[in-house]
Amino acid sequence: MNARLGYVVRRILLTIPVLFVTSVFVFLLIRLVPGDPVRTMLGMRATPQNVATVRAQLGLDHSLPEQYWDWLRGALHGDLGTDFVSHEQITSLLGQALPVTLELTVLAMLLALLVGVPVGVLVAARAGWVRRISSGFVIAAISIPDFWLGIMLVLLFTGALRALPPTGWVPLTQDPVQNLRFIILPVVTLAAGQSAYLLRTTSAAMLGTLGEPYVAFLRAKGLRQRSVIYLHALRNASGPIVTVTGIQFGVLLGGAIVIENLFALPGVGTLVVTAINARDYVVVQGGVLVIAFLFIGVNLVTDIVHGLLDPRVVEAGAR
Amino acid sequence: MSQATVSRDTVQRGTGRRGALARRLGGREGVAGWAILAVLVLIAVLAPVLAPHGVNTIDDSRILAGPDLSHPFGYDDLGRDLLSRVLYAYRVSLGISIGSVLLAMVVGIPVGVLAGYAGGWTDMLLMRGIDLLLAFPALLLAISLIAILGPGTLVALIAIAVIYVPIMARVVRSSVLVVRGQPYVTGARARGATHLAIIRGHVLPNAIGPVLVQASVLMAFAIVIEAALSFLGLGSQPPTPELGLMLAEGNDYVTTAPWVEVFPGLAIAVTVLAFNLIGDGLRRSFDPNWIAR
Repeated sequence: MNARLGYVVRRILLTIPVLFVTSVFVFLLIRLVPGDPVRTMLGMRATPQNVATVRAQLGLDHSLPEQYWDWLRGALHGDLGTDFVSHEQITSLLGQALPVTLELTVLAMLLALLVGVPVGVLVAARAGWVRRISSGFVIAAISIPDFWLGIMLVLLFTGALRALPPTGWVPLTQDPVQNLRFIILPVVTLAAGQSAYLLRTTSAAMLGTLGEPYVAFLRAKGLRQRSVIYLHALRNASGPIVTVTGIQFGVLLGGAIVIENLFALPGVGTLVVTAINARDYVVVQGGVLVIAFLFIGVNLVTDIVHGLLDPRVVEAGAR
Repeated sequence: MSQATVSRDTVQRGTGRRGALARRLGGREGVAGWAILAVLVLIAVLAPVLAPHGVNTIDDSRILAGPDLSHPFGYDDLGRDLLSRVLYAYRVSLGISIGSVLLAMVVGIPVGVLAGYAGGWTDMLLMRGIDLLLAFPALLLAISLIAILGPGTLVALIAIAVIYVPIMARVVRSSVLVVRGQPYVTGARARGATHLAIIRGHVLPNAIGPVLVQASVLMAFAIVIEAALSFLGLGSQPPTPELGLMLAEGNDYVTTAPWVEVFPGLAIAVTVLAFNLIGDGLRRSFDPNWIAR
């Protein structure tokens, strides 16, 4: 138990430098823009007064470490600055956008797990044509770009079948049924490729554990096939599955940026891309920070779950 | 089953020089991947010859017109021939995917070799840096770089290369770690060979397998990333013939003129498929224990 606790604490401590470097990068994002970032940002609205106001707001007249410290203190108090276009607080913009992104990515991950893991187990337990078909499906699914799949789904479900609305959004809290109608295509789009990765990982990990001597022993002991597979082999194969789920969640967060834009969902991805095209760097900064921290958090949780599921990881870390 | 038995089986199964070549290319799937890629490269090189119409020639009487015999892919929203644009777009797609991976290799391989070969503090410092880069979601890192540098085809190439460097360096390092402990490296060192000579003569040639597998997988992703960036307006800019950009331009007309969305997307998928098949094939030919098929 102590080794486990030590592992968890060590893993959390390792996150601190990552958070620090990420925050420095996000902070520098505005300052790295070539030329005068304030003029670029304001564009046509760059009157001398406006430039001076924004410069003062960003604290660009202070030294870099001072600027960073001010920015960080603000961020820790929930103040990421003000959007120069809409004059809204960045944190309130993010507060509206984040639930959309979370709903999309979590539902997509769940759907991918629900499809990928059981099918992966089934495929591993069989040989021959089942495995050949599944490997064909996997390579096709990972070769189709997700945003193109999304476009094709729109073509099919809103164009040909007229079954679903093409784009738009109703918050989950307002009308769950309408919300589902808007989010189902984006979720399926994001989940398709992920389910293929999970299928491949699960079947590879299961093939590995099913070949272990202890599985032969359990079978010789007369245990039923089902309990051998689900109670013993799947548990031991869960390490790679958890790790890949974590890694893929990062891919999913990136993919969500594209899919949100495609379906015009008002999530963080749409916020960031719109802001980049409008040169609204303060909004870009806030969005990038939120997605990056989310990703770091998911990685942390993944590693901890992996460690708790598989004692070998904890031992390897303690050595 | 031990590695030695498997590889001996593989060796005995091969018949003649042609069998050996097919095996090196990664079996039937690998050969198919290389064949598709060869055709696509030819298309990209010969685009000016193959394209039936001008890539930016506008026929405003044929806006969004459907496919016909001389325009098999139909027309886009400005009345340009889609087939010609798709053919030209392969230049951008393949250029970006190969260019970004080569750039990532130029930076990533030395870093990975240094970390793996030197070990100790050098290794730890380099790898911590690499881990920090990997702590950022790849697409987000690319988008942030584009936010700083401004959109464009070349910026997209550089952004993709930047997110690939840490991945490349990691693969190279772990591969070098395996090779470093081999008797032939110890032997070379005992003979008094310089480190540089050992790295060039022994470490690199033997560590390159997994690197090539990774490179082909990354080339596949590069095509998707570049297309996604251009789709978002963050990659190639109009009027460049680029597949993601074509998808963005046609997205408003998907239900009325589906061909503007179907053909560029298929073109991306075929290219990605080729690199994935090559990757799977290489993996099989370098790693005899590869079972997940």
